[in-house]
Amino acid sequence: MTRLISLVAAATVVVSSFIIYGGTAAAHERRMVGPYQFVVGWLNEPAYVGLMNSLDLRVTDTRVTPAKAVEGLEKTVTADVQSGGLAPLSLTVTARFGTAGAYNGYVMPTATGTYIFHIKGKVESLDIDEKFESGPGRFGDIEPTTALQYPNKVPAANEIGTRLGDLQSGVDQTRLLSGAAVVIGVIALGAAFAMSRRRA
Amino acid sequence: MRGLLAALVAASVLILMGGAAAAHANYVKSNPASDARLTKPPTDVRVTFSETPDAHGSDVAVLDVNANRVDKHDVTLVSDEPNTLRVSVGAIGDGGYIVSWTTVSAVDGHETKGAFAFAINAPLPAIKDIGPSAPPPTALEIAGRALSYAGMAVLTGLAFFTMFIRIPADDAESQRERRLVIVGGAALVAGSALLVLNQGTNIPGRLLLLLALRAFAGVVALVSLAVPPRFLPADARREGIAFLGLAAGLTATLVSHAAASGDLGSVAVDYLHVTAISIWSGGVVAFSYVAMPSAGNADPRQLGATIWRFSLTALVAVAVIISTGTWAAFDRLVLIEDLVETPYGIALLAKIVLLGGLLALGALNLLVWGPRMRRGLTSSAQFWRGVMGETALFAGVLVAAAFLTSFAPPAQANGAAFDETKHISGIRIELLTATTLPGRNRFVVRVQQGLTPISGAEKVALRFTMVEHDMGEQELVATERAPGEYVAEGSPTAMLGTWKVQVIVRLAGRPDITALFTVPVSQAAGQEATTKIIAIPPYQLIVFAEPFQPQAGAPLTINVVVVDAKGDPVTGKKVHATFSGPATAPPLDAVENTAELGPGRYRFTVPGLEAGSWKITISVSDAGSGVYDLEVTR
Repeated sequence: MTRLISLVAAATVVVSSFIIYGGTAAAHERRMVGPYQFVVGWLNEPAYVGLMNSLDLRVTDTRVTPAKAVEGLEKTVTADVQSGGLAPLSLTVTARFGTAGAYNGYVMPTATGTYIFHIKGKVESLDIDEKFESGPGRFGDIEPTTALQYPNKVPAANEIGTRLGDLQSGVDQTRLLSGAAVVIGVIALGAAFAMSRRRA
Repeated sequence: MRGLLAALVAASVLILMGGAAAAHANYVKSNPASDARLTKPPTDVRVTFSETPDAHGSDVAVLDVNANRVDKHDVTLVSDEPNTLRVSVGAIGDGGYIVSWTTVSAVDGHETKGAFAFAINAPLPAIKDIGPSAPPPTALEIAGRALSYAGMAVLTGLAFFTMFIRIPADDAESQRERRLVIVGGAALVAGSALLVLNQGTNIPGRLLLLLALRAFAGVVALVSLAVPPRFLPADARREGIAFLGLAAGLTATLVSHAAASGDLGSVAVDYLHVTAISIWSGGVVAFSYVAMPSAGNADPRQLGATIWRFSLTALVAVAVIISTGTWAAFDRLVLIEDLVETPYGIALLAKIVLLGGLLALGALNLLVWGPRMRRGLTSSAQFWRGVMGETALFAGVLVAAAFLTSFAPPAQANGAAFDETKHISGIRIELLTATTLPGRNRFVVRVQQGLTPISGAEKVALRFTMVEHDMGEQELVATERAPGEYVAEGSPTAMLGTWKVQVIVRLAGRPDITALFTVPVSQAAGQEATTKIIAIPPYQLIVFAEPFQPQAGAPLTINVVVVDAKGDPVTGKKVHATFSGPATAPPLDAVENTAELGPGRYRFTVPGLEAGSWKITISVSDAGSGVYDLEVTR
């Protein structure tokens, strides 16, 4: 009886793993490029700002059944990542140890929002130039960590940048107003001096 | 006599307000709709605006992709559709067309223009940049307005000053009073004439009438000086001039942005604002020109007492100006940033700064020079300089007001069911939706820096999530339809409830700009007219059309959900529709696509129907049939 319960428990764990694994894979974009299936997303999802993450690229050749992992792409393709309209960052594409046809490109996203992976080069004899953008039905955006932080909330790098910008703007405005006040003060003093001389 | 005059003024306001709607006639809707994809050519194009445009100076031009005009140049106001212009279209073939419209406001003669596109069995054409939607004012218009306001202020302020603050003490003062009346009356006549000249032959009738009345007030003020005192005593003349100044101010209010709203409250507030600033500014001019030359040699205590009386009047005027001005600013500005980013806001800010300077000088007179003079100390020279400074600042205020009333305010009427603007990282992002009903919708995103449209954004996307239920996240990508205007169509907001719409704007070289809007999707009155339950035993059919208000000639979809007595969807039926109405339409078989539409859901794709009432008989293969009534608008 105990053995039966152990078997059921083991089976449940295995099935759950598949379900969980399947859910994670669903947060990747799948796209056919010629005969090759590209699966692209973040290595760690949900993907959070300020945490080390990586491009998760998997390529399989669907001309054979079952589909065959395509290896050696770290030598023939390049990848970069882009946040919004900013200049892209080149990633170093490396083959993932122990998983044929899977590749990494590490990056630490420092802003929340939409990211684009741009992959180009050659897959075997096929030229490729594909852009994969995070979003609904594709793979996840970079999310803020605010809701997970405890007990203190730490702003992300881009938020700190924005706040510093606001602070600098405030300082500049204060400097301008101070300058104007000094000018008005000097004029007022001059006028008062002139009036007192005239009265005398 | 005075009661009769008051009644006349009140009646005039009501009559003139009746025609007022908005100072800029903006696009609300059209047939064909903006971006409509038609299967057959329309016989005319109708465009409905936020107010009745003046047909005389307005135009609707239908252009093909080579910018050749293909309409019949017969633009008229439609009698049975309010605020609508129509133009006939000749025999036109398949292709893309642009409707370029220009309206002249019947309220103040301001011009507004815009464009939209439609296509017949072809891709939609690009809409070229047609320049600013509201062209900037001309120098003639600014001069005309500034002169008019100066005339109103001088007549009203002078009359109040000489009636309540200081009656002219000698002949010299009376002479100077008469000269100021000449200046005020002449300014009214000249200002009105310049405004008429500026409009040219396109001047709307209502505007011409009001400008004529304004000029007439100036002429009457001038003529009053020629009437001998035995027929018109000085007191009566001053009362008459006060009335003429107030009447001229009323003509300004009735061609203002306040009259734009058609709201009597806004008009009353604007009129109070105009009157208060006229009494204050005209009073300062009267003080400096009429009273000061004589007061210079008099006992400073007398001058101090006059300053005290005038300062009290000015204080009341300032309170009215600040309160009414703040109210108007909230009404006409969309964002606080409008003050530095829009021409209207900059003019308003200039006026506020100048008024701030005036307040400072006024405070100096009230708190420093006035008390000194009441104590018998002579400070008339300083006071004189202060008053001259005030006069100069008031001249600036009048010019700022002339600009202010010439520019279109940022808050503009349009036909959008939802319209909200956010200011993110220096960029204005405005989201407009055609309807807040569930189902297919048109989402327009306007991206601007100040009031300059931002064209060529790398991407503008809208992401939709529902607050009440987890419906996942959906995305629509908008395409640029006009400079700075990005449009997406789809049915992401398919359910009644509250939707969060995240607008993502991607511009080269900068991080994505994200604005979050909360859009309520609700069942509006009249929607039930297009969603009907038809009993065809043993089934029930839930039938609704998309769009909810179909337009003539535009494709529409009729959705049918077939359920059994338990409410479960019924699949595998043959659903058929026949049409009877103002024209013939071929019968259709519904498409059932369980994978995409869901079980029990059938869809008729109708290429387009004529305007009018249609009876659509829907039959189910092994049951009977029922009738679905559909109203197709022009």
